[in-house]
Order: sequence, then C-alpha cells, then structure tokens
Amino acid sequence: MSFAPDDRLVLARGVRVRFDPVRNCHVLLAPERVLFPCPTSVEILGRLGEPRSFGALVAELAAEFDAPAEEIGRDLEALLSDLVAQRVVRVERRAA
Amino acid sequence: MSALAPAPWREPPIGLLAELTHRCPLGCPYCSNPLELVARERELSTAQWLRVLEEAAELGVLQLHLSGGEPTLRSDLEEIVARARALELYSNLITAGVGVSERRLEALARAGLDHVQLSVQDVDPEGCDRIGGFTGSLARKIAFARAVRRLGLPLTVNAVVHRHNLDRLERFVELALELDADRLEVAHVQYYGWALLNRAALMPTRAQLDRSVEIVKRARERYGDRLLIDFVVPDYYATHPKPCTSGWGRAVIVVAPDGRALPCHAAHTIPGLVFANVKDAPLRWIWQESPAFQRFRGFDWMKEPCRSCPRREIDFGGCRCQAMQLLGDPEATDPACALSPHHARITALAEAEAAAAPPPFRYRRLEPVPA
Repeated sequence: MSFAPDDRLVLARGVRVRFDPVRNCHVLLAPERVLFPCPTSVEILGRLGEPRSFGALVAELAAEFDAPAEEIGRDLEALLSDLVAQRVVRVERRAA
Repeated sequence: MSALAPAPWREPPIGLLAELTHRCPLGCPYCSNPLELVARERELSTAQWLRVLEEAAELGVLQLHLSGGEPTLRSDLEEIVARARALELYSNLITAGVGVSERRLEALARAGLDHVQLSVQDVDPEGCDRIGGFTGSLARKIAFARAVRRLGLPLTVNAVVHRHNLDRLERFVELALELDADRLEVAHVQYYGWALLNRAALMPTRAQLDRSVEIVKRARERYGDRLLIDFVVPDYYATHPKPCTSGWGRAVIVVAPDGRALPCHAAHTIPGLVFANVKDAPLRWIWQESPAFQRFRGFDWMKEPCRSCPRREIDFGGCRCQAMQLLGDPEATDPACALSPHHARITALAEAEAAAAPPPFRYRRLEPVPA
C-alpha cells in the first residue's frame, strides 16, 4: 500500500495503546484483540490519536530523527501498510 | 502447598469475563450460561466486583468483558466501568440491547466504556423474537446500535447462527454494514449448557455450514476494509478442534455471578473439580495455583493421539468440557478433532439431527430444568 502526502492516518475506532507494567511492554487493545506492538509501531501509534497527514508525519519524523525524508517515508509506508492491513490504523483519503 | 503440586503458573491472563448477573430479558435456547443459574440474591456486591477488577489488573488482565445474563440489569454497571477505566482495563459490554436507554448508554460511555458487542438473534423481526423469546426485540436492538454509534463507541454485531437463521446470513452482513458496525462475529452455536439441551433444534446441515463459509469469504473480500468479520465454525463438522478459550487456564478467567472463578464458562460440567470463589481466595492464587486452573495446563495430562500430536500447542487437544460431555472423559481428545476415534460418530450425530425436523426450543429460564 502506498500513501499520498495528504492521506490522513488515525488509530482505528476502539484502539488503545498503553504500557503494561506486568508484562513490561506496550500493549495494543482493540475489540476482542490484544496485540504486542514493536517499539517502532508504539512510536508511530502514539502520534495517531488525532488524524495526521502522511506528509506531516514524514516531515516530523525526519526532523526528529535527523534522517532523510525519503528513507523515513519508505519505512513508514511499510509499517503503516501493515498496521492498516491489521485494521489498527485507518486511512482517510480525499475523494478523487 | 503439597510437595507434589505443580509449579505456579507465571503467565498472566489476558481477559476477565465478568458474568455480572444471570438475569436476562431474553431466553435464547443456545445461551452459554449453565442450566443451573445463579439467583439475584447470590450475586456479588458492587464492592466485591470492584475488588475483583483491582486484583485482575494487578495480575495482568488487559481486557474486561462485562457479560451475563444481561449486564445492564446491574444498576452499578457505570461504577464498574469507571473502575475498569481507572485501572486501564479495556472494557467490553456484551449486551442484548433491548432494555438500555440512550441515557444509560451515554452514562456508560462517560464512565469510559471502550466497546459494545450487541447480540442480534435474527435479521427477521419474527425470527428475532422467536429465538430470544422477547416481543419487538429487533427494532429495539437496531435503535440501540444507532445510539452506540451516535456516541462514537465502536460496535460489534454478534450473530449466533444455526439452522433457523443461517439462510439469512447475507442480510446479517448487510445489517452490520448499515449499522456502521466495526466488527461482525458470525458464530455457529457451540453446544454447551442450554445449547446442548437444544442441539437437535439448532444443528445446521453441512450444506448450510458450507454456504456460510462461502458467504463469509465473499463478504470479507467485498467489505474487508470496512468490516472485520470473525467466524466460528461448528465443532461437530470441524476437522481440527478449537483451542477453547485459547487453552485451559492460559488466557481467560471467568467469574460467575456468585463469585466462582472458572477457566471457561462450561468448566463446572467437569466432575471432580473444585472452583474457588473470589470471595474466599485471592484471584492471583486462583489463577496461578488453584488445582482447577492447573488441571489441564501443560501436556502431561494428555492421552494419545494428543500427547504426541504436532498440533497440541495449537489447539491443546480441543475442549475439555466437550470431551467430558460427549465421551464422559475430560482427558480424551475432543471428538471435534478428526483424529479422535469418535469423530465420525459425532459428525453422523450432527447430520442425523440436522436432517430431522427440529424439536421445539427449550428456552433458557432461571427456574430449574425438568429432567
């Protein structure tokens, strides 16, 4: 899946991410599902409480991690594709 | 502790199924509650439930399923939901949605409810009333579902399917889409408790099952981006057994209305097991050390063909309660498994029941069932 800069991404309805002190890791809670996201996913999911455009996310991460936007965009696209496929993140696309 | 007791189980549970009450306005003939229901005066108090929630959170429970009977019949439900939220437990209300006002729902949402699962017995109004034994049920359920979505809560439509409503499965999918549900659970009846009593009245034909598999497959292809569809197939026609509750004492604790803690809601049907009550024992001890929870953990209890089966870590030999019910031996391979020597007999039984005219329903009632 590829994303346009103005595609907006947001946590799917009913998804919550929290730290679990018993298991000492982050957990993703959704209707009838519990997932254990990797640290990178936790980093991204934490930014999607409100809808964010793909372009803004890439710019923000590139600045924060001092990395080329192109590289960040590629990695982010792969990660988000997976999260969207798992219905953890929802894409809002502008009508064509 | 006895020197021979197995080591305490250190993996934390994922979910707590809190059966707040057995009272229910509906009388579905496939209810998963036991035949002998707990009367209101034996239900745990608010304070007792709040303590159970705290113990559960400390133990590592992440999700709280508020179930019953009908959990909204408890007037302290808001308080229970609020405590769950304070403890960061993900709360899931499992309801029939027939007697819940929008105001009540709003109060539950404000208290921090995370998700609502609504049962829909049939998409046909008459069928819905007939299965639940409640007049005017479908219109109420639809109004309830709309209120859930107006409040911005995620919604699952739970469709328990059987010979009487399977031919309308496409319309269940359409209804879920129309209600803007996030999930649709298509669950073939599992035959325990009341459902076992009504098995002949509910058992679908294999052709009905095959068609339902096709319908779910097509619906997933077509609507997969909007609607998550979970599908539970009927055991009697299965090839592999289900890993019931993800394995005995591995993921879930059920607490019955009177405080008895069980590894699954049918576990009381296995003779010889003593289930501790949360009123008398800490939940941590019940989960980690109580003999009933330890009984079918690990693989040492297994017989062949389970013991040497490569799938034993996938399905744990299937369901212990079903092995007990159908074979009288809780250590036997679940006869839902094609490797069980009794599998062909179970399948033949299902086929024969499905081919015969359905007997009338025996509705779930609080009063004891005559033998």
